[in-house]
Amino acid sequence: MRAAPGRKHDGEEEPARARLVAALVGNPNAGKTTIFNALTGMRQKVGNYPGVTVDKRVGQVRTEGGAAIDLIDLPGTYSLVTLSLDEQVVSDVLHGALAKERRPEALIAVVDASNLARNLFLVSQLLDLRLPMVVALNMVDVAEAHGRPVDASALESALGCPVVAVVGHRRERVRGLGERLVGAPVPPAIVHPVAEPMASEERRLARAIADVDGLDEVQSRIVARRLLTAEPGRDLARLRDGHRAEIEAARARLESTGLDPAQEDIEARYRWIDEVVARAVREPEAHAPGRRTTTERIDAILMHRVLGLLVFVGIMTGLFACVFWVAKPMQDGVKDGAAWLGAQLAARMSDGPIKALVVDGVFAGVGAVLVFVPQIALLFLCLAALEDSGYLARAAFLMDKLLSRVGLHGKSFIPLLSSFACAIPGILAARTIDGRRDRLATILVAPFMSCSARLPVYALLVPACLPGSSALTQALVLFGLYALGILAAVVTSLVLKGRLARGDRSAFILELPSYKRPQALQVLFQVWTNTRAFVTRAGTTIFALSVVLWALLYYPRLPSEEAARFHDDRARSAAQIEHSVAGRLGHALEPAVRPLGYDWKMGVGLVSAFAAREVFVSTLGITYSVGAASDDTRDLAKAMRQERRPDGTHVWTPLVAVSLMIWFVLAMQCMSTMAVVRRETGGWRWPLAQLLFMNGSAYVVCLAIYQIGRRWLGG
Amino acid sequence: MAAVPSTVALESNAAPLSRPRAHLVDASHSTLDSLAVGARGRVRAVGGEPGLRRRLLEMGMCRGVTVEVVRRAPFGDPIELRVRGYALSLRAEQAALVVVSVEG
Repeated sequence: MRAAPGRKHDGEEEPARARLVAALVGNPNAGKTTIFNALTGMRQKVGNYPGVTVDKRVGQVRTEGGAAIDLIDLPGTYSLVTLSLDEQVVSDVLHGALAKERRPEALIAVVDASNLARNLFLVSQLLDLRLPMVVALNMVDVAEAHGRPVDASALESALGCPVVAVVGHRRERVRGLGERLVGAPVPPAIVHPVAEPMASEERRLARAIADVDGLDEVQSRIVARRLLTAEPGRDLARLRDGHRAEIEAARARLESTGLDPAQEDIEARYRWIDEVVARAVREPEAHAPGRRTTTERIDAILMHRVLGLLVFVGIMTGLFACVFWVAKPMQDGVKDGAAWLGAQLAARMSDGPIKALVVDGVFAGVGAVLVFVPQIALLFLCLAALEDSGYLARAAFLMDKLLSRVGLHGKSFIPLLSSFACAIPGILAARTIDGRRDRLATILVAPFMSCSARLPVYALLVPACLPGSSALTQALVLFGLYALGILAAVVTSLVLKGRLARGDRSAFILELPSYKRPQALQVLFQVWTNTRAFVTRAGTTIFALSVVLWALLYYPRLPSEEAARFHDDRARSAAQIEHSVAGRLGHALEPAVRPLGYDWKMGVGLVSAFAAREVFVSTLGITYSVGAASDDTRDLAKAMRQERRPDGTHVWTPLVAVSLMIWFVLAMQCMSTMAVVRRETGGWRWPLAQLLFMNGSAYVVCLAIYQIGRRWLGG
Repeated sequence: MAAVPSTVALESNAAPLSRPRAHLVDASHSTLDSLAVGARGRVRAVGGEPGLRRRLLEMGMCRGVTVEVVRRAPFGDPIELRVRGYALSLRAEQAALVVVSVEG
């Protein structure tokens, strides 16, 4: 695992290594993904780096000369000295420090020509790696429009490596990158001059290293620089075990002079960058003062104190409307299609456990997964378009103040908004938050947002709690349920604020990239990969649980002599449920949920809701013998109203419905969410804490409401 | 929002600081969070715990570079800056780590 810098990663040399392994590296927003897609087409695979939740994308490039390149798309990074998880992976891959990962043999550095100086900082660190490199000079058109065109050939001679000017989204000359990469030379390394006493400490350390490792002078200076400037906690420990005493002594001496080696190094690199920029940018900045760029003109509106907020609310409302109203007919179509197919199959099979498994287990399970897909895909579509345009960074900027007050981050906004559709994409979207503390807090509160799977439950229960009320009243109650979820999230994050690890105190350092027109192909490609990831990650859990749930409801079978007593199919299946494992679980749960006002049937429903919350409705449909298939819940609502306890009182009082609705707002009842939280946080600790906290507080709140309400209302 | 420190220390600090020490030197120095919208400053020192300071420097906030305050977010924080030709936003809390000399 721990590799020294410059270590050769040729341990497992293959006899015929025909393929070149190259890495695509660049700043966030430099257009790296566009170039990756243009180079590799659809020939790419998404995997994972071992032990971390950073996606690994590898694509194949075949050059016109016939060479084959395996291109790794590394996450966007500003620096090789690490701050975030993504950057850690980039640094580890490039230094060959990840077990089982081959160290890249060549680099393509993507550089945003319209933001040359800042992008060249990473390039200065890449040059230290001593690997063959080609620079993809992207967005040359934008730089030109800004009045600061970059001269690729001047940049090429300044950097000493091939520079290919490209416009990523037009695929112009992108293919040329592959050709230039094959046989590209190792660009000359640069020792960026620093002041005394750092320079002499560096030379001394370099000599010690050179003697042992047999490095040349420049290489050993680069290594020494890295050792002097590395983060003590994170980086230095990974670097090397040898020379530890010399390194620590040198760092201590420098520290005692009050000098920060990291700062000296970074400033030295920027001095070099200023020279390179002066050579490569044809028109100096002074040429176009006062001329506003397109981005500045757009920001004058979108970032305006009043207008900006209005547009923000408008965009987010539009996104919401898209995810709920546009998706609705598609979801209905999926549901009907699955039901129809199931019915077709059922008609062709004989009764028995196999048929029941296929129809009620497998088909219901597939349906339960697929019904979310249109909505999730639309959500990903909106987000990908917003991200590609550059607006998401603005959303974080606009919302940071409000969110940081309750202990979250501006970048928490999108994950939380997504969670109104489904907590799973929301939790995945939290990966964009750099600070571990903020990311964790966001993941922990995301499930409080009322997801779309709660909506069918609310739709059943709101009329049940307010029989005969107007549509407006019901809408207000529905709104109240959403608001309650948000309130719970705010309270929770305030509770978490002081309690989560303080070491990872968050900062807000965010680039606001230039606006771009979203690229349809790129957006659709992202929708496709993300939706596929959702189906495989969440879908497998939902599907598996649906099958388990089916078995719990199906077994053990009612003895045939007892089943024969029922002439009505529906009454028989209701009796079967009571007899099943799930029914027994419901009865076993009854003493625990009785103080909240629930009976055993609701208990069964709550158990079943662990597959997906909306399954609660269909399970109640079965237990109330109105059938599960019907989408129309009016029969069910009627059956619920007529249900009475043995003592003749109504089971479904408004208070019970309120208590149950609040349970659904507050409780963690989604196994797939827990599975995703486990993946994202790297263990069961947080999902279990979440389960205990959410269900515990749901229990306490519902208990208080039901018990106080009962005394107060006398019911 | 932090009060505008009238004077600011420029000595380099090896120990982690939450913000640069607010005493000494001269009145033309200020911290970035206290600049008005539209004002420009030249970076003189960057404070903060090592990881944060490193990131600020890597993002181009080196000594000697000119930074312009473009706007504040609707609720007063964060702040949008223009540095080395691109737009960077920082919370006032982080901007307070950057000592600048105010430019005309």
